[in-house]
Amino acid sequence: MKTLPAALAIAAKDLRLFFRDRTGMALGFLLPLVLVGVFGFVMKIANGPTGGYSRASLWVVDLDRSEASRRFVAALREAETIDVRPAADAPPVDEASVRRELEDGEIHHALLVPSGFGAAIEKKELPQLRMLRDPDRAMEEQLISIGLMQAAIGALGPDFSEAFTTRMLEQAGLPKEWRERTTALTRVFAGGVRALFEEKEVAEQKGDAAGGATPAGTKDGAKDGAKPAFSMGDFLGQLVPVTHEEFRPPARPKQLSWTLAHTVSGIGVMMLMFGLMACATQLLREREEGVLPRLLLSPADRGAILWGKYLFALVIGALQLALLFAFGAVVFQVEVLRDPAAFLVVSAVVLLAVTAFGMLIAAWARTSKQAEGLSTLLILVMSALGGAWFPLQLFKDRLPAPVTWLMKATLTDWAIRSYQALFWDAKGLGDRSLLTNLAVLLGFTVAATALARRLFQKRYVETSGAP
Amino acid sequence: MSEAAEELLAVDALEFRYGERVAVAGATFSIRRGECFGLLGPNGAGKSTTIRCIAGLAPPHGGALRFSGGPFFPFERGDDRRRAGTVPQELALYGELTARENLAFFGRMSGLAGAPLRDAIARGLALAGLADRADDRVKSFSGGMKRRLNLAAGDLHDPELLLLDEPTAGVDPQSRNHLFESLGALKAAGKTLLYTTHYMEEAQRLCERVAIMDDGRVLAVGKPAELATAAGLPGADLEALFLHLTGKRLRDA
Repeated sequence: MKTLPAALAIAAKDLRLFFRDRTGMALGFLLPLVLVGVFGFVMKIANGPTGGYSRASLWVVDLDRSEASRRFVAALREAETIDVRPAADAPPVDEASVRRELEDGEIHHALLVPSGFGAAIEKKELPQLRMLRDPDRAMEEQLISIGLMQAAIGALGPDFSEAFTTRMLEQAGLPKEWRERTTALTRVFAGGVRALFEEKEVAEQKGDAAGGATPAGTKDGAKDGAKPAFSMGDFLGQLVPVTHEEFRPPARPKQLSWTLAHTVSGIGVMMLMFGLMACATQLLREREEGVLPRLLLSPADRGAILWGKYLFALVIGALQLALLFAFGAVVFQVEVLRDPAAFLVVSAVVLLAVTAFGMLIAAWARTSKQAEGLSTLLILVMSALGGAWFPLQLFKDRLPAPVTWLMKATLTDWAIRSYQALFWDAKGLGDRSLLTNLAVLLGFTVAATALARRLFQKRYVETSGAP
Repeated sequence: MSEAAEELLAVDALEFRYGERVAVAGATFSIRRGECFGLLGPNGAGKSTTIRCIAGLAPPHGGALRFSGGPFFPFERGDDRRRAGTVPQELALYGELTARENLAFFGRMSGLAGAPLRDAIARGLALAGLADRADDRVKSFSGGMKRRLNLAAGDLHDPELLLLDEPTAGVDPQSRNHLFESLGALKAAGKTLLYTTHYMEEAQRLCERVAIMDDGRVLAVGKPAELATAAGLPGADLEALFLHLTGKRLRDA
């Protein structure tokens, strides 16, 4: 037989085999579609619908309650990089409650607009703001600085350009005399620019401006022109006078960043799921290789077969976790053994939940192809939605309600939250939110195990080990 | 000793269905202690399903099983499963484990441990003729060696009854001969064997009595010579009797 006919015959046979397992085939095709969908959605949330800035949540407490402070808060809501909380139509929050939430690690930035804000504005002075923050959330810090500056310029308007200039020069370290000279020059320049604007406005009102190029300095041009400056988030952030009060668990290692701790937890949990799926599908391989009937014929309780696989997966999973977190501790300084008992309990619960998940898939699937397809699909989607690849938790306040529920339906989210509570928030087993996370994971374990047992009985024992 | 007192396993009006399809329709026969009993029939006759019910892999949908005169529920009860050992048609072995490790594992699954397990492994390796390859991985074995180990694994816990489902499928004459010798040794030691095969000469050589099944029913039970005489074929061999009773129609065409 020549090469081509033989190759065609082999390809035709393989295609026939591939399409014969319809569930496995459907899962294989579904996987890329679901992944593209989930990732597109995650990126949309992360970068905004137009692909621009990400947004960070900023809780705002208006202690001044003046017209000026309300205008400032409204300008904050317009800023491109901030999601102001509570929402405009929600009841306001007080200082004590945001402090509590900060201490619990539930929120990470809160801006206090102090009493006297409006009075300072009236006196043409830059008002002093107070930021309560977790200092290790650098990514959100940048976004908030940019948004704060954007809002300050928007709310205080051109009357404060001189004040901003003075503060900028002061930040740049210019002596007082030079600052005054530069400010005087700026004042003259600003007067000239203002005259040009007024002239243009008059021209527009007369309808003469139609069809012409938009000179820099029109409303849109100003917005576009301002964008490059916003990339200097740190510098610009300093233009708005803000005093900082920091909320940081003392036990948190200084060199650890939130995203690093999150990544170690997230990737650790995802790889654990992949590893344990490989263990769980051994049940299917034994069935396909014909060994399972001999196990079912042994005098031992048939449930022991499933429990044996559980134990095997738990041991392998424990080794995997130990290796992953040892690597995280050595290479990235994640302090995994800060609270050894809590770490062991969290890891044991995560292991149980992930193993139960693997067993459920193995008990459900009729072929190893089906198990591989479904598990890959679920693990990748859970990892994406649960924040293992991209920290969606950063944007949890902005997620639509259905997505939040989907996120909470993933093992990954609860597992990452539990580890983050240990590594980042430096909480222990006495913490209520950590206990809630663990209770959810244990609840999943019990439900998944019960279902896996039932499916095992139905699909393995009652069918005599035949697929 | 009367025939009833010698009875080890009684299959009484056994029924089993796969959905709507009847696989075993009221099969009745009994096996005496210490004999080799052949269960013969064309493909799809219901032999393997009958063995699965006796072994405990499938729960009968009707009829009853008795072992040593008492009720026998191998699907439900582990202790009943212990009384029979099964040598399945498939090579139910772990290729990545050695012969010794395979036997050790299946021995533990049968409840053996310590010295009894070590003795059982040694006996199994000797039965399979693999004592000198005990620590080689099974994936390196020939088909015949795997078949022999498959037999040893089924007999490891020394059951009263050994169910053999086409144990010689796909083996060379030497391995087949070794298997026959092994089965002969087991029989000589008092083991009761239930043997299914497509090879009539094997049944003729090994079995004192046979049951011939077709379409889920038992057509005849007894000694081959007596059955041949009863069928009007005195002196005929088992193959002639088999074709006479079951016809020449292909069953899996």
